[in-house]
Amino acid sequence: MANLLQQTTSLWNVTMFALAAVVLLLVVLGFVTYAIYFERKVIGWMQLRIGPNRVGPLGLLQTVADVAKLLMKEDTRPQNADKALFALAPVLAYAPAFGVLAVIPFTDSIQFADLGIGVLYYIALSGITVLGVITAGWASNNKYSLIGGLRSAAQMISYEVPLVMSVVGVVLMTGSMNLREIVEAQKDVWNIVPQFLGFLVFLVAAQAELNRTPFDLPEAESELVAGYHVEYSGFRFAMFMLAEYVYMFGMGALVTILFLGGWLPIPGLSFIPGIVWFILKFSLYVFFQFWLRATMPRLRADQLMSFAWKGLLPVALLNILITAVVISVQNGSFHS
Amino acid sequence: MSPELTTVHSEKSTETGLRTEEMLLNVGPQHPSTHGVFRLIVKIDGETIKESTPVIGYLHRGTEKLAENLNYTQIIPYTDRMDYLSAMTNNYVICHAVETMMGIEVPERAEFLRVIAMELNRIASHLVWWGTYLLDIGAMSPFLFAFRDRETILDLFNELCGARLTYNYMRIGGVKWDAPPGWIDKVGEFVQYMKKEVGNYHALVSGNEIFLNRLKGIGKFDAKTALDYSMSGVMLRSTGIKWDLRKDEPYSIYNRFEFDVPTSTEGDCLARYQLRMAEIEQSLRIVEQAVAQFPEGGEIMGKVPKVIRPPVGETFVRIESPRGEIGCYIASQGKDKPWRLKFRRPSFNNLQVLPKLLEGENIANMVAILGSIDIVLGEVDA
Amino acid sequence: MLGFAKGLGYTFKQLSAKKVTHFYPDVPFPMPPRFRGIQHFSPEKCIVCNQCARICPTECIQLTGKPHPDPEKKGKIIDTYDINFEICILCDLCTEVCPTEAIVMTNNFELAAYSRDELFKNLQWLDDNNTNVREEN
Repeated sequence: MANLLQQTTSLWNVTMFALAAVVLLLVVLGFVTYAIYFERKVIGWMQLRIGPNRVGPLGLLQTVADVAKLLMKEDTRPQNADKALFALAPVLAYAPAFGVLAVIPFTDSIQFADLGIGVLYYIALSGITVLGVITAGWASNNKYSLIGGLRSAAQMISYEVPLVMSVVGVVLMTGSMNLREIVEAQKDVWNIVPQFLGFLVFLVAAQAELNRTPFDLPEAESELVAGYHVEYSGFRFAMFMLAEYVYMFGMGALVTILFLGGWLPIPGLSFIPGIVWFILKFSLYVFFQFWLRATMPRLRADQLMSFAWKGLLPVALLNILITAVVISVQNGSFHS
Repeated sequence: MSPELTTVHSEKSTETGLRTEEMLLNVGPQHPSTHGVFRLIVKIDGETIKESTPVIGYLHRGTEKLAENLNYTQIIPYTDRMDYLSAMTNNYVICHAVETMMGIEVPERAEFLRVIAMELNRIASHLVWWGTYLLDIGAMSPFLFAFRDRETILDLFNELCGARLTYNYMRIGGVKWDAPPGWIDKVGEFVQYMKKEVGNYHALVSGNEIFLNRLKGIGKFDAKTALDYSMSGVMLRSTGIKWDLRKDEPYSIYNRFEFDVPTSTEGDCLARYQLRMAEIEQSLRIVEQAVAQFPEGGEIMGKVPKVIRPPVGETFVRIESPRGEIGCYIASQGKDKPWRLKFRRPSFNNLQVLPKLLEGENIANMVAILGSIDIVLGEVDA
Repeated sequence: MLGFAKGLGYTFKQLSAKKVTHFYPDVPFPMPPRFRGIQHFSPEKCIVCNQCARICPTECIQLTGKPHPDPEKKGKIIDTYDINFEICILCDLCTEVCPTEAIVMTNNFELAAYSRDELFKNLQWLDDNNTNVREEN
């Protein structure tokens, strides 16, 4: 796959690449469909309900029906909304969400772009989504969505800092920002063991980046009704929803790669193909998301901020310091 | 009456020269956290609330005026619809008022049934509060767990009186139905089950750090404020005043049971949460004793004249509802209909403190504070 | 740190717990015998005493009587009997006062309709609503 990029441009490889992208889009859409289904099922089970069960066998077509409904809905727009920005916002939110998937190596061969700065690319691109959210909040001309948009701006920017800091430890250990090399460096032991502190910080910050419970303040339905997308409906709302779940897909993949050893098997079970391992670890993370959502109450905005800056950031910095010191000792830097 | 705020839209500049504006935010009457059709106009500076004006009356049905044209038995179904989460206590207060006026003696068995019904209803009411309050705070599962157990209580009521919410169970001089066979045992089983379940509730929520941080020190007021605003129930007891009509002015047969009145001196949302949870346990204790002492047989209706005509005069009775003191004032001119009927609704009185509590809080706290007051709009607006 | 872990543990245990979902309306929801649903009215028992219409707190019962067709017999028989379920609050008072059990409760409770007019039930409809009739009234 990656070698397609290195070839000289021809009609054939451009088409191939475009086709592959469409396939990935379909895979992602399939994931989103069934992630929503399983989210509802798992949360239902945890709440003594049975979850979706009426559309299709076992309710498997529930999300499909929901999406079809969203697509058929009238495209409504508040009268005093900023027309252009209102339309632009969902695109701004969704496009980077899909863009980040380009650098994710699902196995050692399935990857779109083998960037040397994969980690940086992911984080830089995902930062754009917050623009979409603010734009949506502002353009809707609704007070609730404005508050939601500003909340999420503050939240996502604040939490990006500890998120990046927690990854620095992994980067230090690997000596590379290439996601494939990061996985390959975990051959002996997965990063979750030496970088446990970093993993915890990453887990929490990722949760806040994804705007999911207990950090779902931007859409806090009990306070802000639905936050930044309160005025959106139909297809535009579907885009926001999609962006949220694609990010979950991306973040799950990133966690798997950075800390859980990507496609690497548990020693002794290497006969199972890498992609299965990847999906397993990835699903574990996604399940954890649902589990949290079924349990946790929501933080308050000011607590959220102080938690990021006073709690997570110092821990992340400490993690970098420890990692740096340990690596220096191992390299013998202190003796010379 | 214009619900608008005194000052609208003030602009100001910060030291940096940035122009900022205050904003009027309309919360409700359709809003997930107003627990009914309650409207709150808040003036916010950023997320900080500067001023707030509650607007009530969206659910006003004029129960008190309607009652002037109804005879006393007909008023009872109307009281079901005031505090619809604890209709049994409302049933009781009107019956109690008429019984006091006419000096009717209620048979023991009926009193036991009334107490069991009222205490189960108190538990059901607190369960709804617990679930919806956690929903306000952002946790969704507790709601489902609370409703599963409330469902058991409603099923018990359904068997007892044929309705799940608007019971219309009590009559002047007694109760409409005797307990069906095996019902008392079912209540006893439920008490044992619920005792375990309360522990699970604590495991699920009460220790959660996020939850504790959300509530600690929020919506604080002192005993003087509570008395000045004529608060009652948990709102009053959370400030350290031990006042529970079941203990201090025992009505019905409450003096036969042993139970504690949980109080706290904190006066914040967390204290109110803990007190309501403790009250569930105390109510379970009362039901347990009532089930154990339940009389073998006996009448369920006292000696009541065919047409109920309280003597000329007036009376006021008050009892402890899950939300506080619910009172009933009747002015009678000796007719079969009251000349004037007035309910003192605890939600209405407790709600009055809201603008004072909200000043300077942020929007997330607004939801937490409003939820901790535990209002039922049917009762606020009556 | 332990507090939310306890909560997580509790929700995890619920994954396999017994689910409480009812399968209504696929499976009918049984109501206990005392349940107050829609009234059943048997015209042959009615003595047109008007007590039900008088006790009704919302005045949703309207009835008219006519003289007995058999001139030998005294009293009246029922001519029309309507309950307006738009305003009926199912308080049970009409069945409580009825001296002949002409109006009784049933366990049927499905009243949803597409039009408000359908909620205006007449004598014939109430007579035909004769399933799941309550035993004690």
